[in-house]
This record gives sequence, C-alpha cells and structure tokens, in this order.
Amino acid sequence: MQVSDDQSVNQKFIRAFHSALFKTLVNFVLLILALIAAYKFIPFLTDAVFMIIMAVVLTAVISPAIDWLEAKGVKRGIAVALFFIVTFSLVGMVIARGAPALIDEIGKLKNLIPSTSSNGTVDQLIGKFNTWVAQYLPSLQIEPAMVAKVTSSFFSQIGTIVTTTLSAFSSFLFILIITVFFLVDGRRMMKALIGMVPNQYFEMSLNIAYKTQEQLTNFLRGQLIAASGVGIQSILGLHILNWVFDANISGPFLIGGIAGVANIIPYIGPFAGTLPAIVVSLFNNFGDPVAASHLYFIPHIVVMFIIVQLVDNNFISPLVVSGAMEMHPLTVMLVILIGSKWGVVGMLLAVPGWGIIKVIFHEVMSGIRQHRAAVG
Amino acid sequence: MSNSKGESKMSVPLYESVRRKFRRNRSEAEIVLSTVHIFSKLSRSEIRQVENVMHVRHYTMNETIVKQGAPGSGMYIIVSGNVGIYILNHEHEEQLVTELEKGDFFGEIAVLNDAPRTATARALENCTILGFYRPDLLGLLETKPQIGIKILLALSEVLATRLSMTNEELSRAQRQLQKLENEHNDAGE
Repeated sequence: MQVSDDQSVNQKFIRAFHSALFKTLVNFVLLILALIAAYKFIPFLTDAVFMIIMAVVLTAVISPAIDWLEAKGVKRGIAVALFFIVTFSLVGMVIARGAPALIDEIGKLKNLIPSTSSNGTVDQLIGKFNTWVAQYLPSLQIEPAMVAKVTSSFFSQIGTIVTTTLSAFSSFLFILIITVFFLVDGRRMMKALIGMVPNQYFEMSLNIAYKTQEQLTNFLRGQLIAASGVGIQSILGLHILNWVFDANISGPFLIGGIAGVANIIPYIGPFAGTLPAIVVSLFNNFGDPVAASHLYFIPHIVVMFIIVQLVDNNFISPLVVSGAMEMHPLTVMLVILIGSKWGVVGMLLAVPGWGIIKVIFHEVMSGIRQHRAAVG
Repeated sequence: MSNSKGESKMSVPLYESVRRKFRRNRSEAEIVLSTVHIFSKLSRSEIRQVENVMHVRHYTMNETIVKQGAPGSGMYIIVSGNVGIYILNHEHEEQLVTELEKGDFFGEIAVLNDAPRTATARALENCTILGFYRPDLLGLLETKPQIGIKILLALSEVLATRLSMTNEELSRAQRQLQKLENEHNDAGE
C-alpha cells in the first residue's frame, strides 16, 4: 500500500513536471514568435503610431475652431469640411504668392557661401581669425575645409527638410484623413473607448481622459502661440536691424521662421535661431568697412534675439505654456538625442512628444492617486 | 392584388407618409430623461442630443455605483431597476437612507462641484443607469451652449431650492435652540 502510494505521488510529480515543462516550452515558443512579429512589424507600427500622434496634435490644435463653429449652429461634419476648405484655400494662396519668394530666399542663402568662398573671402577671414587667435590660444585653429563643410551641411539641411516634406506627402495625406475622422467622430470614439472600462474605474477614467485632453490641448496650443510669437518678433527684429542699421541680413522671413520653429526646443532653440542670422550677416557684409566697424552686426543680432527671448520668457510663455511642462535641461538633451534618430524633424518633435507623454503620465498618476486617497 | 396595394398607398395622405418616414421611436432612456427635472426645459431634439453624450452603464445586483468619500464628477439617472442610498453612521456601518427607482436621479451636485460623495449608491437589483458627468456638461457648453445653459439653469434651480430648504431648517433649528436656551435660563432662575 505504501509502495503504491509512493508510486502515485511520483507519477503526480512527474505529470506536474511534464505539464510545467510543456507550459514553459509553449511560453518560450510564443515569446520567440512575439519577438519575430515585433521585429517584422515594429517599423510599420512606429509609422502608424507616429501618424496617430501627429493626427492627435493636429486635432488638438484645430478642434477649438470646429467647436466654435459648432457652437454657432453649424453641424460638426460641415464645420470640419468648411475649416479644411478655407485652410487649403489660404495655404494655396500663400504658396502661390509666397513660395517663389521663399525659394528665392533659400537660393540666395545657398549661393551666398560658394560665391563668397570663390572670391577667397572666407579663407581670408579664417586666416585673419587664426592669426588673431594664435596669439592668445595657440591650440585653437579653424580649418577652412571644416567651416565650408559645416556651413554647407547646415544649408543642405534646409533642402533636406523641404525634400523630406515633399516626399512625405502620402504620410501627410494619411495624417489628414485620420485628423478628419478624429475631428468628426473623436468624441464618439473616446466615449466608446471609455465605455469599455469596468464600472468601478469608469468615473475616474472619464475624468483622467478629460483632464489629459484639456492639458494636451493647452500644451500644444501654448507651444504653437509661443513659436509664432518668437517667429513674428524675430522677423520684425531682423527688419528693424536692416532698416535702422543697414545690417543687410537677407531672408528675414526664413530666418525668423527657423527661430520660431527652433524655439520649440528649450535651451537649444534660441541659439539655433540666432546662428543662421549671424552666419548670413557675416557672409553678406564681409569686407564692408561700415559693417566691420559694427563687428558685422553680431552684437546687434545677439541683442535682438536676447530681447525676443526676454519678451517670450517673461510675457508670452508664462501666459500660454503651462508651468507643469517645465523640463530639466538634462531631460531635454536626452529627449533630443533620442529624437535625433528620426533626423531634424525627430529632434523638433521630440520635446513636444515628451511633453505629451509627460502630460498623460502626470494626469493618469494624479487621477489614480486621488481616487486611492478618497476610497482608501 | 396590385390594385389593392396601389389603393392602400393612395389612401395615406402625403404629410402622414412623410411623418411616418421621419418618425423616430423614442428610446426608453429618452422617455426617462424627459421626466427628469434637470432636462425638463429641453426640447425633444435637444434631449436626443443630451442622450448622445450620456453614458449607458449596467450594474448587477449589489454592485456599488458611487462610494461615499470618493471624488464625484457626475450624476446618475435610473432607467431601470432600483438603487439604494446608504450613509455611514457613527459606528461606521452602512445605513439605508432611501430607495430610488426608474426616473429618479442622484449625485447631481457632483456635476458642478468635485467634492467627495456624501453617500454610497448600490444597485438593489440589475440596473441600467445613465451617467451624465462634468466633462459632458463642459463639452455641451462648448459645442451646444443653448442646451448646456438650460441644464445649468435647471441645476442652479435645484441648488437654490435645496439652499432655501436648508436655510429654513437652519432657522427652525436656531429658533428651537433659542427656545431651549430660554427654558434652561428660566429653570436656572
């Protein structure tokens, strides 16, 4: 009896061991399959997620206008159609009128370097600089080839952005279609999605979703207003420098636009906005004795951009950008480093993208914390 | 056969045929909503629009709908079933205060104020309940202000009525307190 009991215990143990082994093997195979599927589909998923994020950003920016039209009695679908008809007509008009001038500005800036280099003026300038620096800092010398490489790569980046934008037309179209769906049916989608939450967490989830949406809209709208503010101020400032000091800075609209867009990146953006203006001013005015007496307008440009930043940091940003969105410089650096994986566009979108993640995380965590504290 | 069909079609007046085509059966939720005081000022089409933003929730027997002390953000309207309202007494035991049935509503203050819930609501049987929350009201105020304002006005009326009732009770309690104090003083003298 004892022997048969021992045998049955052994058999049970062996059966349990086999079952555990089988489960482990199945889990292992499933894990391998999941990894293969992830490896195969991640590029596709990354693209899809990127498009959805862009559509969310666009929806957040556009929806106040649609809500306003709806409040005036226009049906939501018609309001969306109206908005896009008006926007496309305006964009079409701007492109038809402004594109030749903008292309001309880019062309001028691109031609500036080779023409100045062919005259030998860049080499002359670098030579003077090296002689001057050698007296004080013998180890710091600039190679003309390096300057040419840096400047040409800088301006070729503008071309790359334009080419990438044009080639990504199909992606843009997809983003627009998703945006239209979000604008027309976003609330119903959200309602259906939240409807799936169990009763116990329903009210909490609804609140978190609403607060997240509100914060996200405010954050994106704030970024857009701040960027536009810096862009407009920079354009005005560059024009003032040209009129008052005869600074001869070509392409103020393009440089102002770059400054505005670069301002999205905290800490680094303001420098990225100032640099093109200094480079253009240097190349445009080299050899001019008046410009030389004004140190090639570099101090003027720096002061102008400092004023723009002061106005932005003290008047515009505190009003439009939420304080909760402040980021540590190290976080900004890391986020930009990760964003650089997707090129210049990735670097630009990295900070707002991180802002979106931060807003969602902050709202979800505070909502859960409040709920736990209240329920105990 | 075809003649009779033709005759029956001809016998229906044009306006009746159009009316039948566009007539929409009112849902149970819509009928219930039209009886709730907060939505009583809305037209039928406006009630339909409010119904579209509301959330239909199903609760099983004994399932908690809202818990006393939890942050509240909306009101509930009972479409079917019964709901018990409980409050915690001094011994921290739940005490049934009232039973609500189809057409009744609770938690309306939470639409305006996110103060903690003052009572627990629990389904006494399987219930279907409509939830109307602050984000829904804010959304209506943004996109359909004429509806949002009517709801807000009705909510204010409910609050004003409750406030005047509370004031009456308070003054009655004060009068009683004063009477007791006088009696106590007289007895002392």
